[in-house]
Amino acid sequence: MADELLVVRCQLGEREAFAELVRAWHPAIERYVGRMLTGPDDDVVQEVWLAVFKGLPRLRQPDRFAPWLFTIARRAVMNRLRDGYAHPEPEAIDDVPGVDEAEAVVDRELLGRALAALPAREREVLLLFYLEDLPLEVCAQICAVPVGTIKSRLNRARKLLRRELARKGYEA
Amino acid sequence: MTPEELLKRLDAPLSLRKKVGYVALTLVGLAGSGLIVLLWATEPGLPPRTMVAFAVLVAIGLCWAAFGGWAVTRRTPMFAQDRVVAGWLGLGAWLLFTVGALVITTLRHKLAPSLVVAVLALGVLAIANLRTARRRRAALLRRKEELSQPRGR
Repeated sequence: MADELLVVRCQLGEREAFAELVRAWHPAIERYVGRMLTGPDDDVVQEVWLAVFKGLPRLRQPDRFAPWLFTIARRAVMNRLRDGYAHPEPEAIDDVPGVDEAEAVVDRELLGRALAALPAREREVLLLFYLEDLPLEVCAQICAVPVGTIKSRLNRARKLLRRELARKGYEA
Repeated sequence: MTPEELLKRLDAPLSLRKKVGYVALTLVGLAGSGLIVLLWATEPGLPPRTMVAFAVLVAIGLCWAAFGGWAVTRRTPMFAQDRVVAGWLGLGAWLLFTVGALVITTLRHKLAPSLVVAVLALGVLAIANLRTARRRRAALLRRKEELSQPRGR
C-alpha cells in the first residue's frame, strides 16, 4: 500500500517520492547485489536504479513493485555474473578464523561466506526467500520459473548451505 | 554507497530541465526543418547552391530532432508531469509551424489544400498527445488520492 502510493507519486514525477523510494529500497537492493556478487558493487546497484527509473513510467501494476524491482536487480546481477564468467568466482575460503570474536559477527561472517560458496541459483532463492522475506510466488516470478522449481531449489540450497556450514566447522 | 550518494548520481537522468531541453530541441528541429522544406517547395527556380544549402539546413534540423527524440525516449524517463509539459511544448511548436507556414504560403502563393491538411493533421496529433498525457496524469492523481485516504471505515 505504502509502496504503491510511493510508486504512483514517482510515476507522476514527484522528486521527493524518488528520494523516498530510493531510501526505502536501496538497502535491500544493495544487500541482494552484494550477496549475489559476493561483494558490494556500486556500479551494478546504480545500473539497477537507473533501469528502475527508466521503467517506472511504464509499470502497469504499481502494487507489484517489489517483484518488478527484484526482477530488474536479478537481470543486472546475471549480466554481471555472465561478464565475469571468464574470471570464475573465487573458491570458498577454507581457513575459518578462530571463534574468539563476538559470536554474532562471526556467525554472520560465516553465513556470508557459506552463501558465497553456493551456486548462484541456489544462493539467489535463499536470499529472496529468507533474507528479503518474499513469498514463493514472487520468488518464482522474479526468477521466471515455476513455483515448484523454486521449492526444489530452496530444498537443494538448504542442503548445500548446511553442508557448507558443516564443512566450515559450524555446528547448528 | 548511501541513498543520498545514489540520488546524486541519478540526478542527471531525472533532471526536469534537461528533459524539457531535449523535448524543445526535438520540436524546434522538426518545426525548423518543416518550414525550410515549405520555403523550398514554394519558391520556384531556386539556384542549385541554394537548394544544397536548404538540404543541409533540413538535415541539420532533422539530426537535432533525432538526437532530442533519442534522448527523450532512451536516456531520460518521462513521467506523467513531464509528458504534460512535453504535450504543451508540442502544441506550441505546432502553433509556431502553423503561423510560419501560413506566412510563407499566403504571402507568396495561394494556400495549398495539401498543406492545410498536413497542418490540421499535425494539430490533431498535438492535441491528442496533450489530451492523452493529461488523462494519464489525472488518472494517477486520482489513484494517489485514493491511496492517501485512511483505510477502513
